[in-house]
Amino acid sequence: MNNGIEKYLSELKKELADSDRATIQDALSDAEEHLRTGLNSAMEADPQISEAEALAAIVEKYGAPREVAAAYKEIESRTPSAFAVPTNKESEVEVTPESAEPIAADTRPFYVKFFGIFADLRAWGSLLYLIFALGTGIIYFTWAVTGLSLSAGLLVLIIGIPVAALFLLSVRGIALVEGRIVEALLGVRMPRRPLFSRKDIGWWQKIKGMITSRHTWTAIVYMIFQMPLGIIYFTVIITLISASLWGIALPIVQFGFDIPVFQNYDYYYYLAGWLMPFTVIGGILLLTATMHLVKATGRLHGNLAKVMLVRE
Amino acid sequence: MEEINETIKKFQKELNGGTSSLVLLSVLSKAESPMYGYQIAKLIEAETKDVDIMKQGALYPVLRSLESTGLLESEVEPSIAGPPRRYYKITDSGRTTLTKWIEIWHQTREFVDAILKGGDDE
Repeated sequence: MNNGIEKYLSELKKELADSDRATIQDALSDAEEHLRTGLNSAMEADPQISEAEALAAIVEKYGAPREVAAAYKEIESRTPSAFAVPTNKESEVEVTPESAEPIAADTRPFYVKFFGIFADLRAWGSLLYLIFALGTGIIYFTWAVTGLSLSAGLLVLIIGIPVAALFLLSVRGIALVEGRIVEALLGVRMPRRPLFSRKDIGWWQKIKGMITSRHTWTAIVYMIFQMPLGIIYFTVIITLISASLWGIALPIVQFGFDIPVFQNYDYYYYLAGWLMPFTVIGGILLLTATMHLVKATGRLHGNLAKVMLVRE
Repeated sequence: MEEINETIKKFQKELNGGTSSLVLLSVLSKAESPMYGYQIAKLIEAETKDVDIMKQGALYPVLRSLESTGLLESEVEPSIAGPPRRYYKITDSGRTTLTKWIEIWHQTREFVDAILKGGDDE
């Protein structure tokens, strides 16, 4: 019985072969529900009609597998990110475990996901950013500390006020520039234009606005914190990368150039040959894991930058 | 000829992309109890009679996407004969969205009609 429906479903499945698993699941259960319900009611309404005939009429209205598959693909391609509204679906998860999967689930096998990090531009961008964070951190820190102390010190004189105002203005500028760097390298959406464009208020109002804005001060805190963070990022990343490269290059260094692993006065220590594969594999794994760490840290830092630099 | 046919179909499909959400939301806002896909399809078929511009199979993915955006909610219930059915009903945010959509639809229709008529009412 219902060979026709089975055939339709398998054709539909074939058409959807390259879609997300959750989509296929949805499409099949929708089609099955519709065709079976339709067939039942058609048979009830007219017992004389042959099943094949009734089904053909229903399919005619429902659409050929290719058309239906196209409809699902179309929806799949435009729903996820634009409309990703977090809904509390906990109660429904039990009813339909298949459809609870996120629409754009990453279905790559775990090893592809793990090593695929090297093809991930975001990871390389994060690496660049985190290493340069030492440099930008030193610049920001110096500027922030100098500006703050200079402004504070000169405030007793009348010249302190313009100095403080210029300093705060420069903080705004730096926050914007840092935002651009963060967006380019870490992929976190940051403002593109300065907010400072009101023409209807005077200079004094603008300065007052800057001083009372929470965002000016968090930007200064961000600039100060950028240096310790930059030092940590730089040290950890360089250490991990060197350790990985050491492991990978060890066979060449030891057998090719006869450089010992460790040297203590006249004692030379070499690693046993059978350990070499392990250091190489360990090095590759560590390097890959480092890239994952870099990407995750980059995302965290990007969010930090967003909280500290962007006025909500 | 084949190519022209393709562009005609494409135009219809693109229009349906927007209108089908509106139609489904409207059907479910009028429904007294939750409805399942086949019921909705039959209702639309009965109300529109000979206008057949939308395959019924194309309604289901729209229902799903409306659900994922929180405008509809659904529940699966076993049926006496055949597979379990997914019953859809409109949410509060679905209702508020629908009133906005209807407004947009009227505006759009007036806008397009005004252009198509080419100002011959003046």
